[in-house]
Amino acid sequence: MAFLEVKNIKKSFGKNTVLKNIGFSLEKGEVLAIIGSSGSGKTTLLRCVNFLETPEKGVIYVGGKLLFDADDPMIKRESEIRRNRLHFGMVFQQFNLFPQYTVFDNLVLAPKLLAKDQIRSRGSYRGVASFKQAQASIISEAEQLLEKVGLTEKRDSYPCDLSGGQQQRVAIARALALHPDILCFDEPTSALDPELTGEVLNVIKGLKSSDSTMIVVTHEIGFARAVADKIIFMDNGVIEEEGTPDEVIGNPKSQRTREFLARFNRFGD
Amino acid sequence: MEQFWNVTLQLLGGFMQNCELFGVTLLAALPLGLIVAFGSMSRFFPIKAVCRTLVWIIRGTPLLLQLFVVYYIPPMMTNGDFRFGDRMTAAIIAFIINYAAYFSEVYRGGIESIPKGQYEAGYVLGMKKRQIFFKVVFMQVIKRIIPPMSNEIITLVKDTSLARIILVEEILKFADDFRVQGLIWPVFYTGVFFLLFCGLLTLLFRFIEKKLDYYKV
Repeated sequence: MAFLEVKNIKKSFGKNTVLKNIGFSLEKGEVLAIIGSSGSGKTTLLRCVNFLETPEKGVIYVGGKLLFDADDPMIKRESEIRRNRLHFGMVFQQFNLFPQYTVFDNLVLAPKLLAKDQIRSRGSYRGVASFKQAQASIISEAEQLLEKVGLTEKRDSYPCDLSGGQQQRVAIARALALHPDILCFDEPTSALDPELTGEVLNVIKGLKSSDSTMIVVTHEIGFARAVADKIIFMDNGVIEEEGTPDEVIGNPKSQRTREFLARFNRFGD
Repeated sequence: MEQFWNVTLQLLGGFMQNCELFGVTLLAALPLGLIVAFGSMSRFFPIKAVCRTLVWIIRGTPLLLQLFVVYYIPPMMTNGDFRFGDRMTAAIIAFIINYAAYFSEVYRGGIESIPKGQYEAGYVLGMKKRQIFFKVVFMQVIKRIIPPMSNEIITLVKDTSLARIILVEEILKFADDFRVQGLIWPVFYTGVFFLLFCGLLTLLFRFIEKKLDYYKV
């Protein structure tokens, strides 16, 4: 069994079936890019994986552990979902930073709350039993993460004083602060000016070398080809084609994939 | 001149009653309004229905009438066995209910204006609903509701004079007593008290808004 197994996901909004019984798998350290036109269901698929949407059907395994089963009401309880969610990190198209906190506090808010909860309920957070110690390592990790995304000097700024690209880099660091097994990106550059997309894509590229498992929903075909180990092309709620970048982008078999890619090539992507 | 000071002191004594009514109402209605707001947004239909109906009735009838109801209905229903100890208590209860209803709508507007993405960011970071509300959403709500809340609170200052209708000894009642004795200017003079008080509040709200200027929502 692969590190991440997503099987038979079905999701509808009203009468509109957005995901039609689809699944995929991903090995540890791999980067998966999901491409496809708007409305093809890529974002919904990512949101299902992060439990932001509840599929009507399907199962999700990470590291051999069952995290979600649409037929099991126990696993869908809020407390279970909250715990299982921590296997995933999520970076949103609109960044969704917390405006009233500084960059640094955006990074440490959730880990501190989690450390407090876990020490109270299980006696330790990431192997540390005292909250003070846990807090110290949360703080030093947050500082390292800021360095990693190149924003050390923005530590005490507020989100409203940052550019979109900087905000998105903070959002990436914030997601990493919780040590997710799999980091998910939902069109991370779609809300950015073209000149700012580069800095965000570079940060994501940099993460690949540090051996993170990632799922990236993107419209940046060139980026997908350069960074992904595996590409899924979605169309109308199904996986139309999947394979390595060279297979899917270099030599697409499906007519739909070819049509989709042709639109990008026309503008010299 | 002596008459002026005499009148001023009398009116000031009355205005203290207005201040008390204002302060107690504010302290109680601010938290109560938040609870009613949660009720109005509840997914549990009976709670939602009760809260929204309450807000409808309170906002749909005059505060003057509500003062009468609180003061006269309990003794009428109990053949005089139960009535509020003093007129001020009755006024405070009517004001708290009335303002909690108005505040709840201000809160609800503020809470519903926070983008869904803020909640989702909290969820994917493993936060609990309660943590998301208090650590993430609440401060943003506060910032958004300060202008409409200031409006309501300034209205409350002036509404306190309505308590006169159940003979609470507030400033306008004193002024009216002077009028009955043939001295009419104190009635107009009361405006100065309200103006000064609202002026102070306006400065306070401006200060708070400035304080919260460091972030944008």
